[in-house]
Amino acid sequence: MNLLDTFQISASGLSSQRVRLQTIASNMANARTTRTDEGGPYQRKLPVFETRQVNPFGDMLEQAMAEPVVTEIVEDDAQPVMVFDPSHPDADADGYVAYPDINLMEEMVDLMGTSRSFEANTKVVETTRQMATEALSIGR
Amino acid sequence: MSIHAIPAVGGAAWQAQLPTASKPVANSGGGSFADTLQNAMDSVNETQVGADDKLAELAAGQTPDLHGTMIALQEADITLRAMVSVRDKVVDAYQQVMNMQI
Repeated sequence: MNLLDTFQISASGLSSQRVRLQTIASNMANARTTRTDEGGPYQRKLPVFETRQVNPFGDMLEQAMAEPVVTEIVEDDAQPVMVFDPSHPDADADGYVAYPDINLMEEMVDLMGTSRSFEANTKVVETTRQMATEALSIGR
Repeated sequence: MSIHAIPAVGGAAWQAQLPTASKPVANSGGGSFADTLQNAMDSVNETQVGADDKLAELAAGQTPDLHGTMIALQEADITLRAMVSVRDKVVDAYQQVMNMQI
């Protein structure tokens, strides 16, 4: 496998972590959103990662390599949290407002995981570059 | 001045170090030493231009792909270094031939 192909795998990893970061940003920013186009409160978004062959036409070794891609973003089907607040414009007849079931702590932990994954992927890129540079210095 | 005498050195070196470069010339005078060098330079240049395009796109805000741009730059850097180190080897071989006592 080409050393430069490793870059492609890591680049896909970085791209998918970026999408994950965006869903977390959306979830955290909309933790108190009660109105959406579909009606009802905002639903928590989750990215779905899927593998894709890096080089389907390569040899056996190359075909075994997979890169991650985000194929869809699903909505968490958790029930909204009902909070009693009769003065809120979106309160129902009983005075309860439906808020998204988003736990900020949970999102923070997910954010840390995203950051670490991103870091790990950049580390792979860095190491690949180092290996290529070292290979070039053979016999110098 | 013709330097047809050493494509054997050039051909082997390209094959070993620049797998992305165009097909190395046949050793039996299929192309000149300069052609081989030109082909390799072209393919390295393509990587450079690709990285440049990505950088321009990023600067213009057309792509959010920050890491993709950085990786393209790294790729361009590595292929350029590979080209330079192969060039050094080839020039070295050429000079050895030129310095040969007759």
